[in-house]
Amino acid sequence: MSRSDVLVDADWVEAHRDDPGVVLVEVDEDTSAYDKGHIRGAVKIDWKQDLQDPVRRDFVDRAGFASLLSARGISNDDTVILYGGNNNWFAAYAYWYFRLYGHQNVKLLDGGRKKWELDSRELVTDVPQRAATSYTASDQDAAIRAFRDEVVAAIGTKNLVDVRSPDEFAGRLLAPAHLPQEQAQRGGHVPTRGTSPGPRPPRKTGHSNPMTRCGTCTQAPGSTSGRTRSRTAGSARGRRTPGSCCTSCSAS
Amino acid sequence: MATQTDGCGAPAGGVPIKDAGNQAIIQGRVTRDGAPAQAGYARLLNSGGDFVAEVPLGEDGGFRFFAAPGEWTLRVLAPGGLRAERAVTAATGQIRELEVAV
Repeated sequence: MSRSDVLVDADWVEAHRDDPGVVLVEVDEDTSAYDKGHIRGAVKIDWKQDLQDPVRRDFVDRAGFASLLSARGISNDDTVILYGGNNNWFAAYAYWYFRLYGHQNVKLLDGGRKKWELDSRELVTDVPQRAATSYTASDQDAAIRAFRDEVVAAIGTKNLVDVRSPDEFAGRLLAPAHLPQEQAQRGGHVPTRGTSPGPRPPRKTGHSNPMTRCGTCTQAPGSTSGRTRSRTAGSARGRRTPGSCCTSCSAS
Repeated sequence: MATQTDGCGAPAGGVPIKDAGNQAIIQGRVTRDGAPAQAGYARLLNSGGDFVAEVPLGEDGGFRFFAAPGEWTLRVLAPGGLRAERAVTAATGQIRELEVAV
């Protein structure tokens, strides 16, 4: 997988956002951010309302995902460009979601909403009206999702990657530093994990790292000895995977 | 300490608080040309220079982090390529207040 397979830059978006078959989608952790201003032509997906089953706290099912994309006017053959705040944190989650349900032509805006803002590029409040489609979702691709028992079994045999900040990994912080430190009861990480912080701003420019670590790769660059590197988030309690998130997320 | 959160994201300006409680808080306000910098980001780096967290500035240019006791660096990014950095020492039960001009 090359960089251009998963990323487009802001100039590309400005040149192609009105092309037929290109759909911009904003997905923010702060679900009110879109309403304050977004890239012209972008539609909104709310990870809390649209990407969570409100009862099971699992992903919406195949029919639900198809219904969501149909309502947003997204077709199966569209090129979907995702972007969002906090260095594409939830946009990357949505990227993985699209891939889970078989949408192959999906990419992230390099640098996300933050770089777009810092570049002083245009943001608008007009909400585009896109005609509904009849989107067909595939069955979930189990190859890119690991469940609890698989993660436990992977300890010591596969490469687990902790995507929290270095200080959470080391146990110095119990939660992301933008939140009160009162969540996990025990700091630290699962044995054998490496660290690759998730929502960090990849480079000084705000662009993603040379090979993006966007929460979607099951085989990370630099992986050694042929072991599969499974991506995980959160502590041993699994509290911070978006959608099955921390206590406050699950309760909201 | 009373807090208000809506999800696990980073709210603009930081999670509201009444007092430090048992937290080690780093907070402050960013100004630009003497007025609150409404557009921009505050980033927290650890003593090794690694990224730890980032929040969008609030409408009053404010930001807030819940750190651990120790040495940190606060970096501010604003449109136009503006940057500023401050070294700060956090302590449990205290609020470290920073005023940053970009």
